[in-house]
Amino acid sequence: MKLAIDETRCKGCNLCTKVCPYKIFKEGKKPNRRGIVVPELDRPERCTNCRLQHLYGRTLCGVCQLTCPDQAIDWIEEKPYELKKVAIEY
Amino acid sequence: MSFDDWYRQDRLPHIYCAGCGNGTIINCTLAAVDQMGWKKDDTVFVSGIGCSSRAPGYIVTDSLHTTHGRAIAFATGVKLANPDLHVIVFTGDGDLAAIGGNHFIHGCRRNIDLTVVCMNNQIYGMTGGQGSPTTPKGCLSSTTPAGCAEMPFDLCELAIAAGANYVSRWTSYHVKELEKAVKVGLETPGFSFIEALVQCPTAFGRRNKFRQVADHVEYLRAHSLLKAKSDRLLAEGKPIPEDMFVVGELARRNRPALGVKP
Ligand SMILES: Cc1ncc(C[n+]2csc(CCOP(=O)(O)OP(=O)(O)O)c2C)c(N)n1
Ligand code: SF4
Ligand code: SF4
Ligand code: SF4
Ligand SMILES: [Mg+2]
Repeated sequence: MKLAIDETRCKGCNLCTKVCPYKIFKEGKKPNRRGIVVPELDRPERCTNCRLQHLYGRTLCGVCQLTCPDQAIDWIEEKPYELKKVAIEY
Repeated sequence: MSFDDWYRQDRLPHIYCAGCGNGTIINCTLAAVDQMGWKKDDTVFVSGIGCSSRAPGYIVTDSLHTTHGRAIAFATGVKLANPDLHVIVFTGDGDLAAIGGNHFIHGCRRNIDLTVVCMNNQIYGMTGGQGSPTTPKGCLSSTTPAGCAEMPFDLCELAIAAGANYVSRWTSYHVKELEKAVKVGLETPGFSFIEALVQCPTAFGRRNKFRQVADHVEYLRAHSLLKAKSDRLLAEGKPIPEDMFVVGELARRNRPALGVKP
C-alpha cells in the first residue's frame, strides 16, 4: 500500500503535518497549479497502515485520514507489490 | 468498506474553507456509521441550515437539508413514520441552540431514537461570524466586537437535564474518541447527543488570534479536561479551571425512548 495525497482535494491546511506519529507529512514549499501548497511526504513507507493493512485486514492508525478535513488522504495499491526494508525510529 | 464509501465522490471537494473542522467530524461520524453494518438505503441524514448543516449533501444516502433550526423536528417525523430507518442529524451550534433550541430540548425530553452530532464552532460560520449561544465569554465575533459579555450554553448539560439517553463531548483533535462516541450513540436506543468542538478558521479563528488552523486545534486539545480527571478534581474539592471544558462520555442511561425499532 502506498500513502497518497489527492492534490485535487487538498486545501493545504497542514493539519496532517501535526497528527502523524512518524511525522511523515511535511509542510510543502511550492504552490501547485491551483495555488495550494500541498504537504510533502517524508518516507511514507514508514506508515503503519502502508506496512500492515494487508496483514491485519483493516485500517491501522489512519489518524491522518480521519483528521484530513478534505478527504484528501488515502492508500493506493502498489503493483507489483514490493517488499521494502523500513527503518522505524521509536 | 471505509468511511470514504459513504461520500458522494462526485460532490467532493466540499465547499468548506481550508482547515474547517466540519470535514473531520463528518469523517468520524461516517467511520462510526460504517462499522454498524447498516445498508445505505436504511440510513438517513438530516440537517438544518449552516455550514455544518451542509454535511448531508456530501453523503450517498437519502438526506434532508431542511430549514434553519428544524433538523430535529424533521428527523422526528422521519423516525416516527418509519422506525426501521437509522436517522442521524448533523447540526451547528446556532442551528441547534439558538433558533432550534426548543426542538433540541423536546427531542431530548421525548428521548426519540436519533443520533445528533453538533459541530460546535462557537459562532455562526455561514452568515459571517455572528456570536452564537455557545460563543465563550470574552470571545470576539461580528456582533460582539468588544468581547462576548454573556455566559455560553453548555450543550451537553442541557441535553442531560432535558433527558437524552447518551451524551458525550469531544473535539476535532480527538478523532478516534469521537468515532467511538458516535458509534456508542448509534448503538444506544433513544436520543444520543454528541457535541464536537471544531475550529472555524474563517469566522472564529481569524478574529480570536488563531493565526494557523493548527493553533485552534491545539487550543481545543490543551483545554480539554477528561471526564475522569474532572470527577477526581470534584471529589477532591478542587476547582475546575474556568477555561477548560470536560470531554468524554457524560451520560449513558436507559430512560424510556420513543421511535425505537420494534
Ligand atoms: C429562519 C432563518 N433565520 C436565519 C437564517 C440565517 N442563517 C443561516 S445559517 C445561520 C447560522 C448558522 O450557524 P450554525 O448553526 O452555528 O452553523 P455554522 O455555519 O456555524 O456551521 C443563520 C442565522 C436562516 N437561514 N433562516
Ligand atoms: S490535512 Fe488534508 S487538506 Fe489539510 S494539508 Fe493535509 S492532506 Fe491537505
Ligand atoms: S496512518 Fe498513521 S502512521 Fe500512517 S501516515 Fe497516517 S498518521 Fe502517519
Ligand atoms: S465559515 Fe467556518 S464553519 Fe463555515 S466553512 Fe468556513 S471555516 Fe467552516
Ligand atoms: Mg456554528
